[in-house]
Parts: sequence; C-alpha cells; structure tokens
Amino acid sequence: MKLSKRNFGKGMLVSLSLAMMIGGLIGCGSKESSGNTPVADGQVTIQFAGWGDPSEKEVFTNLIKSFEEKNPTIKVNYLHIPSGDYVGKMNTILAGGDAPDVFYVPDGDFGRWVSQDLIMPIDDMVKNSNIDTADMWESGLSRYRYDGSAIGQGKLYALPKDIGPHVLFYNKDLFTKMNVPFPSAETPMTMEQLLDTAQKLTISKNGKTTQYGMGPVWWEDFVLANGGKFLSDNKQEFVGNSEETVHALQFAADLTNKYGVVPSSAALKDLNDSEMFKTGKLAMMVTGRWMVPEFRKLGFDWDVAPLTGNDWGGISGSVGLGIYSKTKNVEAAYKLVEYLGGPEGQKEQSLMGFSIPSFKSMASTDVFLQPGQKPEHAEVFIKAVEKEEAGPWTVLPNAKWYDLLSQGLAPMWEGKKSAADVLNDLKPKIDAAIKEGNPALFK
Amino acid sequence: MKRREQLWAYLFIASPILGFLLFAFIPLSYSVYVSFTDYSGYKTPVLNGGDNYVNLVHDELFWKTLGNTIYSALSIPIGMICSLGLATALNQKIRGIRFFRTLFFLPTISSVIALTLLWKWIFNDTYGLLNHLLEVVGINGPAWLSSERWAMPAMIIQGVWSGLGINLVLYLAALQGVPRSFYEAAEMDGANAWQRFRSITIPCISPTTLYILITSIIGALQDYPRFQIMTEGGPNYSTTTIVYYLFQNAFRYMNMGFASAMAWILGIIILVITLLNFYFSRRWVHYE
Repeated sequence: MKLSKRNFGKGMLVSLSLAMMIGGLIGCGSKESSGNTPVADGQVTIQFAGWGDPSEKEVFTNLIKSFEEKNPTIKVNYLHIPSGDYVGKMNTILAGGDAPDVFYVPDGDFGRWVSQDLIMPIDDMVKNSNIDTADMWESGLSRYRYDGSAIGQGKLYALPKDIGPHVLFYNKDLFTKMNVPFPSAETPMTMEQLLDTAQKLTISKNGKTTQYGMGPVWWEDFVLANGGKFLSDNKQEFVGNSEETVHALQFAADLTNKYGVVPSSAALKDLNDSEMFKTGKLAMMVTGRWMVPEFRKLGFDWDVAPLTGNDWGGISGSVGLGIYSKTKNVEAAYKLVEYLGGPEGQKEQSLMGFSIPSFKSMASTDVFLQPGQKPEHAEVFIKAVEKEEAGPWTVLPNAKWYDLLSQGLAPMWEGKKSAADVLNDLKPKIDAAIKEGNPALFK
Repeated sequence: MKRREQLWAYLFIASPILGFLLFAFIPLSYSVYVSFTDYSGYKTPVLNGGDNYVNLVHDELFWKTLGNTIYSALSIPIGMICSLGLATALNQKIRGIRFFRTLFFLPTISSVIALTLLWKWIFNDTYGLLNHLLEVVGINGPAWLSSERWAMPAMIIQGVWSGLGINLVLYLAALQGVPRSFYEAAEMDGANAWQRFRSITIPCISPTTLYILITSIIGALQDYPRFQIMTEGGPNYSTTTIVYYLFQNAFRYMNMGFASAMAWILGIIILVITLLNFYFSRRWVHYE
C-alpha cells in the first residue's frame, strides 16, 4: 500500500486526535508534583501553601529563605493561593489526596478538615521542640485542639500563624473636633456609653447621614462582650435565645434601626467599612491589628480602645499552620511549622505591624508595641487577645447551625422582628442542625 | 476498501466517545452511587440506603431554595420579551446600528465577577446608582440586596440584563431570516404592523424562541455564582438557589452524598422540564 495523499491526511488527523486524547488523559492523570520525594544527598523538598496580600507574601518568602539557610537539608516550595480561592482550592486538593505538606488552616475550616483526618496531631512534636506553649495565648492554641467531637480540647493539630483580636479603632481628630472625650484604653464602654458617644459623633442633615458614630456591627462581638453565649457548654444545644444574647443583639440592631448611628449592613457590605473610616465617614469601627499598616498611612490621628461590654469579651480571628496527615516528610514539615509559628517567624510577622505575636513575652516588648508609631495604646490588643474567644463558626466541625443563625437574623436587622422572636423561632431549627451535622458530638 | 473506511470512521468517533465515557459517564455513574452513601468527600463512602433522598424531602431549605430558583426564573420571560423588543428595534435601518449591537452584547463577553461587583454597587441602598435615580423621580428605593423582599427582584433585574446580549443576537439573526416576501404579501392584503408581527414574525422565529427558552431554563436552574457574590444567599436564604445550596452541602457541610442526591433530583427536574418543552413545542414552533 502506498501512502496516498488522501490517506496521509487522514493519518495525520488520526494521530493528531489520538495525541490530543492521550495528552488530555495524561494531563488529568498525572499528579501535580508536590515534590515530596527525598533527594539523594538527604535533602528533602516540602511544599507549603498559604494566602495573603503582597506584603504577607513577601514576609513569608523572606521567612522561608532564612528557614532554608538555617536548615540546608530542607527546601520549601511556597505555593501562594489568592485568599478568595484558598478554601475552595484546598478542599479540592485535599480531596485529591496529594496536598502540600504544610498549609494554612483557617480556624473556621479547622474542624471540618481535622474531623476528616486531614491534619496531623502535633502534641508530641511540640513538646520535644523549643516552643513554650505556656507562653502562648490560650485561645490561640485551644481553637486548634480537637477531641473527636468538639473543638477546644484534646490533641493539638496546628500552631497559630497569627491571632487577631477585635478592638475599637477611633478617629481622634473627629472626637476632638466634636468635643467628645476619647474612649478609655483601660475600661470598656458600657452599651449606654457607646450609644451616647456614637450619637454625639453622628451628623445627619434632612434625614441624610453624612457621618456615622460607628462602623460595622460584628454581632458576635456584642454577644460575647455582653456575657452572652451561642452554644451550651457541651455544645449540643443552641442557647442564643438567652437573655444576655437577645439583649446584645437587640441593641446591635437598634444602633441602626432605632438610633441611626451605624450605617445599615447593606450600605456597609458594599462600600468597604474601612474605606468609610479612612475617609472620615465613621468615627469608630471594629477591626483588628491587620489594618494597622494601612491606617498608619492616614492623614488623621487615631487610636484603639476595648470593645463595648464587660470584661473585654469579643472574638478573635486566627489562622493555623497545619501538617498534612499523609505527608512523607513529617520531620521537615514540623520544622517549618515550628519556625513560622515559633519565636523567629512570629517576630518577623509582628515587626511588619499587621500581627500580634503568639507569645506573651514577646507581645510585651517593642517588637509588638512599637513605640512612636500608632496606635498609642497598642497594649489594648494584648488585653483583648487574652479575653477574646474564637468565633462561633469555629466550635463545631459542621457549620450549618451557624449559617442558619446568621441567615435567620435578617428580619431582626431589617427591624421587622424583635431579637427575642427571631432567636426563639430559630432555636429548634438550629438545634436540629447541630445534631444532624455533628453526630460525633452526641455519641 | 469499504471496511477500511469504516475502521477510520470508528477511530475518528472513538475520541469523543472515550472522552464522554471518561469525563462524563463514569463520574455521573459514580455520583449516583455516592448519592446512596454518607460520602464526605475525603473518607471512604459507606452505603446508607436512600437516607439522603428521604432527608432531602424533609429538608425545609431544599424546598425553599427550589422555590427561589423557580422565582428567579421569572427573569426568563421578562428577558425574552425585552430582547425580542430590542432585536426588533435594532433590526430597523437606524443610524449607529453596529454601535448598539456591540453595546448590548458587551455584558455577555465581560467577566461575571466584575459585572456582579458592579451591580452590587448599583444596588447599594445608600450610595447606589439605582436608588439615586429613583430618588430623582421621587421614589425612596428599598435596601435592595439586604431586604428579604427585594433581594430576589434585584437578582432578577440583574439576570435579565446579563442575559440580554446573547438572546438579542440570536433574535436578530432569526429576524433577518424571515423572508421579506411574507411581509410584502401581508402588506398587500392590508395587514397592519402588529398583525404582521403577530402572524408572521412570531411564528417564523419560533424555533429560536424554543432554543432560547430551553437553554435559559437550564441556565436558570443551575445559576449560582452571581448569587454567591452578590448576596451570599441572604438575607434569610431568600436568594439561595438550589445549586448554591447544593454547593454548600458539598463543600461547606462535607455532605457529598446529600449533595449528590440533590444534584440528581435537579437533573431529573431539568430533564422533565426540557421534555415537556419539546412536547408542547409542537403546538407553537413552526419549522419551514
């Protein structure tokens, strides 16, 4: 058979389509190399995944470089995933069974991942290393403990990369201009004092508010600061319809609906609240240390104060550093976790101004306090971190109950129903969701 | 030689068939299996009979989100009427016709995320464009996206707008395919503009209408990213569509089995609606 022109064309087409097909198959079949194969001379390569804005990426690139210098046998591949995609992408990677050796574990996703055996317990490794857990913030550590049913006790599965308590930021220039005394850095304001202050700082003309006394209402903060709770001590029951919680939430809703000192959540959601603060439209707002580098660039004077309520309650956010349960390089992976979560890594992160060191002894030094730079009362963060708890979305592996709660509060924010009615209506549904979603808790 | 050609033919069609088996049929069959298990996405699945389906029927949110999805599908008839009207207008010989065609097609080729963020700003109750315009004519606009009553209408408005471009182009093409001679004949018989539109244009473009209807219904039943970005399904689940709820069950509550069951119910709903559409289309769709 001679290869005629026609046949040649066909042959080309066939081989082309076959090549495309096979290429497609190989492309899908081949695992993304995580590079965790030991190299001949005892050197190992591990992969580390995290997110963060460019400044965080830079800090971690530098940290990894100095880690590699100190540990010449370990090479680290830094996989930077944009923060918006992080959890979705990690879910896919984890389900695929070939995840990075070390990765960021948001405290809200910790429960789900650890209950699915994706993260390795690190108690023993921590004990045998130079990390002094007694010097660490308790709430930073306890949110990464899991005993098989609820979060907060049991084995330790991650070290905090950071911890971010909520505090009240205020625009000093606006306070001075309107003759309102600054909030105390030692004693939290009561709800009445907060309302009074916010009212004095709100400017309305013909029903249009040009300056609000206060920014976004983190309702979880109000509840915890008022001594309220969301779940019973054994976490099996929703207790958000108790008097303290109802009172706190009603107050939070009234700030917008009744007193008009806080913009409605819709106005805030879409026009970033820190943008409003930066342009002087908000006299006070609740946020964390991560805003400090940006606020230091502002043209007005500002400071921080405790959240409203008794005894410095509130919520702090955190991201942990976890080790993939199926990693082949446990030792190297832990070395990296120890470095980033330990004194050296914490120091570098704190110096950047956006985080609080995990170690109490370091937090009281200039590494964190940074005298001469705003805010003047940096110690407020430290008092807050000691008392503030992990957010309610972290305490159970399945967060459906929390979604039901935050969605269900809508009629209250709209002012259509009282907090008491809304929470009483929600209780049976939330209780059912806790039970259905967290069977291990009821065993 | 004939045999050889047949062999070639089989080789050529092997690629798409294998592709379908590998990337559609096998995953689909696996998801049927998963829908009868307690699969979390990470651990080995364990069969639990029809539990997922039973739970689904008793799940209040399943019905609510299904209802939301049907409500959101209101954007289909509204969108079709709008795009047909615009297409008719653009089918005339007017100045700058290319400009308008490009203008209306722009949303179709822009990123969903960017457009959604833009609309979030348009719907902002205090600073948004829409309420600002309403204020000019003396209406006090609602808090669109944070009100249980108005969030879905807002999403419908956005849905109509974003679907306009592609439907417009399809209708324009269909309108240009209507034979001139039909109109000329009708004109001679004394039919007015409306009569011509009703008795000639609508029947002639009915295959396009069917196509748009079916693809829009499937699209609407599977719609969710814009809901996730704009409202996060709120307030009070008023804008959680069924696929958004499915996504939450799969990737937030690690209930892959339940989510698979939901996906299959949704698949069956889509199949039934599409078959009904084809069945009834015989009465109103005219092919040449």
